[in-house]
Amino acid sequence: MSIKKDSSRIILQAIAIVIFSLIIGIIYNSFSKEGISVKGNWSKKVVSDSLIVPYSYTKDDPPAISLGQAMTYFQTHNIIFLDARLESDYKAGHISRALNLPFEEFEQYYPKVEPLLPRDKNIITYCDGTECEASLFLARLLKTKGFNNLKIFFGGWTEWSKSGLPVEKSN
Amino acid sequence: MKELISNKWLVLLFRLIVGITFLYASLDKIVHPDQFARIVYNYKILPGFLINIFAITLPWVELLCGVFLILGLFIEGSSTLISLVLVSFIIALSVNFLRGVDIACGCFTTDPNAKKEGAWLLLRDVALLLMSLQILFFNLNFLSLQKVFQKKS
Repeated sequence: MSIKKDSSRIILQAIAIVIFSLIIGIIYNSFSKEGISVKGNWSKKVVSDSLIVPYSYTKDDPPAISLGQAMTYFQTHNIIFLDARLESDYKAGHISRALNLPFEEFEQYYPKVEPLLPRDKNIITYCDGTECEASLFLARLLKTKGFNNLKIFFGGWTEWSKSGLPVEKSN
Repeated sequence: MKELISNKWLVLLFRLIVGITFLYASLDKIVHPDQFARIVYNYKILPGFLINIFAITLPWVELLCGVFLILGLFIEGSSTLISLVLVSFIIALSVNFLRGVDIACGCFTTDPNAKKEGAWLLLRDVALLLMSLQILFFNLNFLSLQKVFQKKS
């Protein structure tokens, strides 16, 4: 059998499988309870001029705050900034006085960090920037642990460090 | 060496390994398309409007190709598609590894908590790719349904 005949058969098979998958996928998706819209909206939501949040943020989540609000809270001292990034990122630089509770290793870090989090204090979670959702997921997890005074600073490390606000490094 | 690589039992073993792996990997994605779509989004490679349709279609491609490889039907088309999928996974993982983007790979689970084990995942995908290419190039009909059909026709 010639190579040409072989490859055209292979390509035909592959295309047929893809088209068939597309059709069953769309049919299954339209009947499934967990189905999603075929044309999703993955753009960021703009809440106000100074506040952009990820697409996955909903009105039931803890309030999102802007850089200006984060600065104001920072000055009041009655808050704790929680860095949701990995320990290596945290050590390389973080908001002054922030504690580290990596979302991805939550179970491992939480027992150590929990005693440092008084329930009556405001807790502001942040991660790298608007593109990252670790701050949102961390805030959701903390909510399930009974923390109620939560806020999310989506601008995160990127906005904070660019603005020349107080930062720290640790070894 | 060539005899060993083209051994019919080895091809069958690889068909089963790759087939079962893809069948298994597809199920969670089919059941939770929203979580799989989020993972695709996290890779930051596809444009927004393609993410959902990709997340709806790809798991079924994996499922069908997995089943076809196990049964021995459309072996060439299935192993070609699986090879293409694996090549794109390898490129996506490498690109994000170089970019330093922190992605939770959703290859077997859709839990974004899943530990990122980039190097291991890459190694696994490369191993699967080699098996898939071996299936494609040696395409033996040993213990396959397509052989049964060919005999009849």
